[in-house]
Amino acid sequence: MKRILYTTMAVAVLFAACNKKKDTTPGTEVPFTEMEQTVLNDFTNKVAISGYSDLKNKADALYTTLNTLNTSTTDDNLNAARAAWKDLRTTWEQCEGFLFGPVEDNDYDPNMDTWPTDYHQMDSLLASGNGLTQSDIQAATLSLRGFHPVEYIIFGVGGSRTAAEITARQKQYMISLAADVQNTCHALYDSWAGAGNFAQKVTTAGNGSDKYAHKQEVYLAMIGAMTDICGEVGEGKMKEPFGTSVATADSNIVESPYSGNSTLDFKNNIIGLKNVYMGIGDGKGLCYLVASKNKDLDNRIQNQINTAIAAFDNITLPYGQAIYTQRTQVQHTMDALEALKGTLEGDLTTFAKQYITD
Amino acid sequence: MVRKKNLLAVGIACFITVFSMCRKAQPFNDTGYDSRLSGGQATVFDASSKAFTHMIAGLVGTDLNAHERGDVAFEQTFVSAPAPVFGGLGPVFNNVSCISCHHNDGKGTPTAGTVTSSLLLRITNGLTDEHGGPAGVDGYGGQVQDVALFGIQPEAHWDIVYAEVPVTYPDGSTASLRKPTYNMQNAYKAISGGYFISPRLAPPVFGLGLLENIPEGTIASFADEADKDGDGIRGHVNYVYNPQTKQTEIGRFGLKANTPTIMVQVATAYQQDMGVTSMVRPQEASWGQAQCAGISGDNYDLPDSTLRAVAFYVKTLAVPARRDVEDAEVKRGEALFTQINCSGCHRTTVQTGMDVNVPALSNQRIHPYTDLLVHDMGDGLADGYTDFLANGREWRTTPLWGIGLFEKTNGTPYYLHDGRARSIEEAILWHGGEATNTKNKFMQLNKTDRNAVIRFLRSL
Repeated sequence: MKRILYTTMAVAVLFAACNKKKDTTPGTEVPFTEMEQTVLNDFTNKVAISGYSDLKNKADALYTTLNTLNTSTTDDNLNAARAAWKDLRTTWEQCEGFLFGPVEDNDYDPNMDTWPTDYHQMDSLLASGNGLTQSDIQAATLSLRGFHPVEYIIFGVGGSRTAAEITARQKQYMISLAADVQNTCHALYDSWAGAGNFAQKVTTAGNGSDKYAHKQEVYLAMIGAMTDICGEVGEGKMKEPFGTSVATADSNIVESPYSGNSTLDFKNNIIGLKNVYMGIGDGKGLCYLVASKNKDLDNRIQNQINTAIAAFDNITLPYGQAIYTQRTQVQHTMDALEALKGTLEGDLTTFAKQYITD
Repeated sequence: MVRKKNLLAVGIACFITVFSMCRKAQPFNDTGYDSRLSGGQATVFDASSKAFTHMIAGLVGTDLNAHERGDVAFEQTFVSAPAPVFGGLGPVFNNVSCISCHHNDGKGTPTAGTVTSSLLLRITNGLTDEHGGPAGVDGYGGQVQDVALFGIQPEAHWDIVYAEVPVTYPDGSTASLRKPTYNMQNAYKAISGGYFISPRLAPPVFGLGLLENIPEGTIASFADEADKDGDGIRGHVNYVYNPQTKQTEIGRFGLKANTPTIMVQVATAYQQDMGVTSMVRPQEASWGQAQCAGISGDNYDLPDSTLRAVAFYVKTLAVPARRDVEDAEVKRGEALFTQINCSGCHRTTVQTGMDVNVPALSNQRIHPYTDLLVHDMGDGLADGYTDFLANGREWRTTPLWGIGLFEKTNGTPYYLHDGRARSIEEAILWHGGEATNTKNKFMQLNKTDRNAVIRFLRSL
């Protein structure tokens, strides 16, 4: 009876593991190299291209809502624009879970996500006779482009902006900013799915790709990107403003301060990392491979990802306040990220080098 | 008699032992070394786009914190002052952050004046300043800042034009090189008199702690100014001014070895490339120029701790390990690299000195493929720009470690001091001057062997 029970439990565990993928069960015997290809295909189509497709659609939506705000400057329309901005940020921050390929090679990231905003130059720009066209914006320095100047205009310091306060020049600026962001998001999508066809470089890794001669290379790029975003959030975006004490904490260096969106940005970065590891929907992520060879490691990674994501929910105040009054919760989150990063750059990287050999 | 014989034997044995103990230290033979470890203990095994971005092993506590702080600051975009944080950009500059030019801590793109550009141009009137360095041009200083804060005119823009130059190998194979011309446009002020420009593409920043730790005597020992060995390769040390110590020191960094230390390199880049002043470079790059009017000269922009952290970050970036070292073609290429004397300048193996603070940099057997000397590279690469003791035909031997990863770290790879070469082969073919014999030998190789040399270089 005990034996049957154990067997049943084992089967249940195996079925439950890793997004309930049927063919991880014993007996199906999918060759590991085939599994590697499946993960690359699913990452490419269901995480990367799907993510960038969402990104361009949401950039379109932001552009539309800002145009509506421009023609009808009501607080309702302002709220709609703010919602569209946050919606776009959610997707972008999740796409930062896989910052490799064209997004870094072609500088799409700094073109739209440079921080901090340059108040001084922004004031000069708005006070000038500059045409504030899209090409004017594209010619400007990075700190005058992208998400955060838009954020500053539609939220204002402390999120206090009202629709009536937005000046005609600011409206003109925000429309061109949104068009510029839209342009970058479309170019990013096209670099994978369109003419750039980076998708093909990933899916043919080790099989003719001119970017990745071996599958292991693209897997290490994926794991490296996961590790980097973990470090960027835990050791950079969170730790820098956190300082070493209340006295050394500095809310001035909190990203996305106008919208109060910082903690959600951080969390979405890690959700993006999770999407790469777990896959999205019926797509298979890295866990498909890990679970097939080292279930303990897979469990550990999944637990650490989930622990880190859950830890953000304990930070209930805007991050600029939390660094002063919720230091314990912030520290716990950074600790969780540090543990996760250690596993990604340690055991998961070792796993890829050991098992993904083609 | 037997006892006497024993005594004699013991005596001889003692004699040999004592003499062998007095033997001068010899390097170990190559057996047991792992040839993948280009940076010795400061090597990292990663061949991805992030290969140049890793911290050396063993940093803990304050060192770890300093590296991490430096990492964040290296990527930080600066904005104009006054600003709550990261202020001080400009008023004229070339780019807004370290990472903007040093893409993935590596090289960048050979364009100038855009947000993605990594190329800048130095300028001199051909005279020397009070420290023996190149004197700047009136109204421009020593570097043309081609971007400016809103409302301020950049010093100039550069129109870069390439002309294709065909090359034919003795076996009939052909290649094409692109020769750049830099045309100054929209200059904010007319330049009176002649001037020389020197284009510089941002180089990779990893492994610099090891290069800084090579004893001065070692570098000097590589020089052969009189070409006593008759191989055509001379090379000499560049001695340069250190604004921090106020002394003349050996130059190690920069494309003409015009910079003595990592600290000075970082501070100068902040000052000249970003307009961000610091304790080492407290004066605005545009000081005395119209664009600088209204900027207070009392305080510098960069906190000392940030400058130190970024310098420490750069110092402690690990060198990527070699790949495919046992591959037959790679080994063949490696042998040819030595045989045709590429290694005459691109020194294969160097020993670093002691560093009691950072063990991974201390006493390491490294493979930087540089001698850190400046060499005459011929007319093709000459810029006519004298930089301390490096004349207008001379360039520092570029470290070749990591060169095989540029495609990964940079998207599209570019080579040489100004990024004119689009491939390793083109970079080789541009060699002239002291490297002429070696370049010719390379060209005389058959295609299989040429490919082997390139394959070896791609393994670095």
